[in-house]
Amino acid sequence: MNNAQFIVRKVAVLGAGVMGAQIAAHMVNANIETFLFELPAEADDPNAHVTKAIEKLKKHEPAPLSVKSKAAFIEAANYDQHLEQLKTCDVVIEAIAERMDWKQALYEKVAPYLGEQTIFASNTSGLSINRLAQAFPEALRHRFCGVHFFNPPRYMHLIELIPCEQSDALMLDNLESFLVTYLGKGVIRAKDTPNFIANRIGVFSLLATMHHGRESGLAFDEVDALTGALIGRPKSATFRTADVVGLDILAHVIHTMRDTLPDDDWHSYFETPDWLRGLIDEGALGQKTKRGVYQKVGKEIQVLDLAENTYRASCGEVHDELKQQLKYSKPVDRIAIMRNSQHAQGQFLWAIHRDLFHYCAVQLEHIADNARDLDLAIRWGFGWEHGPFEIWQEAGWKQVADWINTDIAAGKSMSNKPLPSWVQTISEQVHTSQGSYAPVTGTIHQRSELPVYHRQLYPDRLIGEDATYGETIFETDAVRMWHTGDKIAILSFKSKMHTIGKDVLNGILDALKEAEKNWQAMVIWQTEPPFSAGANLKQATERPKPQHVEKRVPAPPSLFEKFFKQFKKSAQATVLKAARELDMADALMARKLAEVEAMIDQFQQTSQALRYSMVPTVAAVDGLALGGGCEFVMHCDRVVATMETYIGLVEAGVGLLPAGGGCKEFALRAAQTAVEGDPFPQLKKYYQTVAMAELAKSAEQAKELGFLRPADTIIMNRFELLHAAKLQAMTLAESGYRPPLRMRAIPVAGNTGIATIESMLVNMHEGGFISDHDYLIGKKIAYVMCGGDLTPGSLADEEWFLQLERAAFMELLATEKTQARIEHTLKTGKPLRN
Amino acid sequence: MTKQIQDAYIVAAARTPVGKAPRGMFKHVRPDDMLVHVLKAVTQLCDGLDPAAVDDVIVGCAMPEAEQGINVARVALLLAGLPDSVPGMTINRFCASGLQSVAIAADRIRLGEADVMIAGGTESMSMVPMMGNKVAMNPVMFKHDENVAIAFGMGMTAEKVADQWKIDREAQDAFALTSHQRALNAIKQGEFRQEIIPYTINEKYPDLGTHQVRESVSVKDTDEGPRADTNEAVLAKLKPVFAVHGSVTAGNSSQMSDGAGAVVLMSESAMQRFNLSPLGRFVGYSVAGVPPEIMGVGPIKAIPKVLAQTGIKLDDLDWIELNEAFAAQSLAVIHDLGLDREKVNPLGGAIALGHPLGATGSIRVATLMHGLRRHKMKYGMVTMCIGSGMGAAGIFEAL
Repeated sequence: MNNAQFIVRKVAVLGAGVMGAQIAAHMVNANIETFLFELPAEADDPNAHVTKAIEKLKKHEPAPLSVKSKAAFIEAANYDQHLEQLKTCDVVIEAIAERMDWKQALYEKVAPYLGEQTIFASNTSGLSINRLAQAFPEALRHRFCGVHFFNPPRYMHLIELIPCEQSDALMLDNLESFLVTYLGKGVIRAKDTPNFIANRIGVFSLLATMHHGRESGLAFDEVDALTGALIGRPKSATFRTADVVGLDILAHVIHTMRDTLPDDDWHSYFETPDWLRGLIDEGALGQKTKRGVYQKVGKEIQVLDLAENTYRASCGEVHDELKQQLKYSKPVDRIAIMRNSQHAQGQFLWAIHRDLFHYCAVQLEHIADNARDLDLAIRWGFGWEHGPFEIWQEAGWKQVADWINTDIAAGKSMSNKPLPSWVQTISEQVHTSQGSYAPVTGTIHQRSELPVYHRQLYPDRLIGEDATYGETIFETDAVRMWHTGDKIAILSFKSKMHTIGKDVLNGILDALKEAEKNWQAMVIWQTEPPFSAGANLKQATERPKPQHVEKRVPAPPSLFEKFFKQFKKSAQATVLKAARELDMADALMARKLAEVEAMIDQFQQTSQALRYSMVPTVAAVDGLALGGGCEFVMHCDRVVATMETYIGLVEAGVGLLPAGGGCKEFALRAAQTAVEGDPFPQLKKYYQTVAMAELAKSAEQAKELGFLRPADTIIMNRFELLHAAKLQAMTLAESGYRPPLRMRAIPVAGNTGIATIESMLVNMHEGGFISDHDYLIGKKIAYVMCGGDLTPGSLADEEWFLQLERAAFMELLATEKTQARIEHTLKTGKPLRN
Repeated sequence: MTKQIQDAYIVAAARTPVGKAPRGMFKHVRPDDMLVHVLKAVTQLCDGLDPAAVDDVIVGCAMPEAEQGINVARVALLLAGLPDSVPGMTINRFCASGLQSVAIAADRIRLGEADVMIAGGTESMSMVPMMGNKVAMNPVMFKHDENVAIAFGMGMTAEKVADQWKIDREAQDAFALTSHQRALNAIKQGEFRQEIIPYTINEKYPDLGTHQVRESVSVKDTDEGPRADTNEAVLAKLKPVFAVHGSVTAGNSSQMSDGAGAVVLMSESAMQRFNLSPLGRFVGYSVAGVPPEIMGVGPIKAIPKVLAQTGIKLDDLDWIELNEAFAAQSLAVIHDLGLDREKVNPLGGAIALGHPLGATGSIRVATLMHGLRRHKMKYGMVTMCIGSGMGAAGIFEAL
């Protein structure tokens, strides 16, 4: 390995199974030229197998491809015809079935064709990297290592990077840098121990949960109710996750632990329970066979009831008092609440945490470099909000350690192995702002110094690490404007889900004024996703959550219900309610409808201000950007978005239309890209996007739909987002930025455009595909986007369209059916078709 | 009734095979080239004909724009090598365009103002989509309820017909299946051999490996639409396309297609002059209007009209080419007029054979003229429904 800049021109993925094909898909998502290899088919086309695998990617859920058309960029290859191509690949990832003999045979076959600098990495989850390395030619072993992707690889942030003994240090650094920036992944260096870090801990946690569930006599659905969102883990919790993963896969992983970890003090628990073996024998493997721990009968979800040996309706509930306690307690008190609970469910929760903490403390030094790596692996690989050590530390390190010791002494824990001594010797923290504890050295290990991480201004923070962001410029209840010591101002929303209410609008307008006074550019960036869930549909209706109340407080009647009752009898009641979407509660209370419109006007003015301020504005987008959030994105001068950005104008779904400049902006873009002066063909596309409330399911698709412009930048790693956005802002500022000149001559599609769209609506309506109200909404959107009842080709300005947006918004708001839709959505979170 | 001074005779009738659109065998074949092909073919079929004697070439096309625009009749006749002196005209009556062109050509002769006419039709639905490349509706349609149906898609009108005539899904699917079975059988029996002039497709595409242009040549002589792999179960599985609770599916609707057809018509004196004998005689033609929302029942009005006009009785007809725009409207027409199902589309219809809009009329005239003669029958009819609410029917006599 030399020190020259490491560039990956091409990648080859060997093995077109589920993982291999999806890894290849993610490579092309990242614009990396990729060969996907598979065994030659006996059919006429030797690439038949791999071609089929590539085709399948287009239908796979969740989508492995950012847009379907990317599938065409995966180059099909087979081991008979295309081995020469390997020479052109800088990284080769082997992802064939987990069979030592097969892998060995493959290595022998491909090794002669590897380029001089090619990195060869095996995506294994179960086999020892050093044993695999033995099968790899010795001369090339310094370029060999393991990369463990998590399924689904596009969406799971974690990759475990596992060196073999001979792995070259620079090679590993290069590979890590590549995986972080170009694939957008979180890389954790793991030791070559069975199941590496995430699966070792995650599967142990699952075994401990199964064990204690059984001991406590809890049903599967009850265990899932307890071990999901309630304790900061994915909604699918324990057994539903097992169904999704596949019960056979789960058993396989458990067997790997049993066979490879004979000396583990918890070894006796590494067994598949009889019921699990029974299900597998019956061919009930979970989701893929439509039956596992759960099954769906009609619309009913049923769960396996072991006592009755049959399926029954799933109805697992958390005991009410425990639920309230956990919901409204400070995080720091939660473990204590579990431990002190008299309820079997509380005891169960304590037990699974206790044994998990115990296991992590004992195994940490064997499997990971430091506590941070273990916690991040669990977060990124299993989707937990926090890793085990974080939760432990938050609950009071020494206190929890004492409780664990007490339980070990009392014979309550799964193993009587004592906690390692370092648990007692460290102070109260495994995670500190300086780094995290590493038991092997007995010191605090800093985060990696690899240059690639310089791009991560704010990496994924752990509890215990400093969580402040730069220097405040000004701060309100709704927004914070801040900087990192240069001339770029950053604006972050503080509202829940970063929704946009009146206070956020004021915040943006004030920030722009401040930016024009004292800063070179402004970036809108949120400290965590989403970018924005849109105009505030719910804020006024949600009861303020008591954050730190330990006792259960009687729930105050929902503000929404209160308003609703107050206004129900008045003719305009529901109109007002609907307008609350824009956080207009006050104006509504006073029945000042003019103010409602004035606030929509403010929304539009904010969008326009983002476009026409004298400093460049850059939206740094990650996650959802809906409705008003989308409109702000569309109005910033430049967008830097992560691939996992989901943008959409979803107003039509609640019976409204985009009125923060979204319709205007699409009309404007259609006019700007009009071919031979006719904006309609493009406008029709945009119209469908708005009227169908279509959501882009990747930043790439957002470009296809027109939410993002060709010049907008897509990046892969969300932790590099602020860095990239700031550089874009700086580039704009330093390139003599002036806002665009205001378009005063936008050709409209006019009445012919409206009629042409209406001809589509008429047919959908007659065919029963859309309701009367859908028709009305569709027509209003057409009216606004086409510039109203005008002669086609006549010229309008932006304000013309904005005024149409406002008027149509108010008109729809005045309809009973839109009111009903909003009310329904507010109550249930689901759309209403009426 | 008729004020004609002489009869118009069909002397030659030919067509291309019909390809599926938009991804079928003719997807890259221009509609004007297909027209050139059939114009050349029918002139050659009239051995001894002086091309300069052709008084006019009239071509039907339902979406006359882009590749089939700029008066495709005149462009194609020149490219076909007919002399400059021969004029050409493109006409449009949507799905009846290719029959209307035959009627106009016949009428010029019957009136005594022409002796040799060529009529035809061409359509590439692969290249020019239904409704054309640019749809731009008149706002007035939506100002008055009675005009809204002008905007109805054809499938929607078929749903309306199915509804009003109470034609259920099973009946439509059964009709569709018969169409395929008859068409497949007809191909097997070689029924279309006389009328189809094989089309040679020349395509050029890049060989990215060698950077050479590769040429491919293939000859097409069979209709692409009929499916041997269809059956009741396959048809029953298809989802309604035009209405949530509808019954009209892709399987019981006509196929989108590419194709062209042409017919040479002459007066008796012209036939004598060039020493040619007729395939048959043009007897008469009518069109009639119906409400746009049930456009499919147009033939219910047009057929009685042409029968009354020509004095021919329904029973005198041995063969009826009823364009199967949709199974629903075909069944409505068959039901209301009491047509004999055995006489209607004995070789299958548009559900199997395809419906290249403006070309279909001329194509089916070719089918009918050759078919009547082959099967030693006398009178036959070509009839179809027409978008926006019309029906057309033409009667021919085999000689």
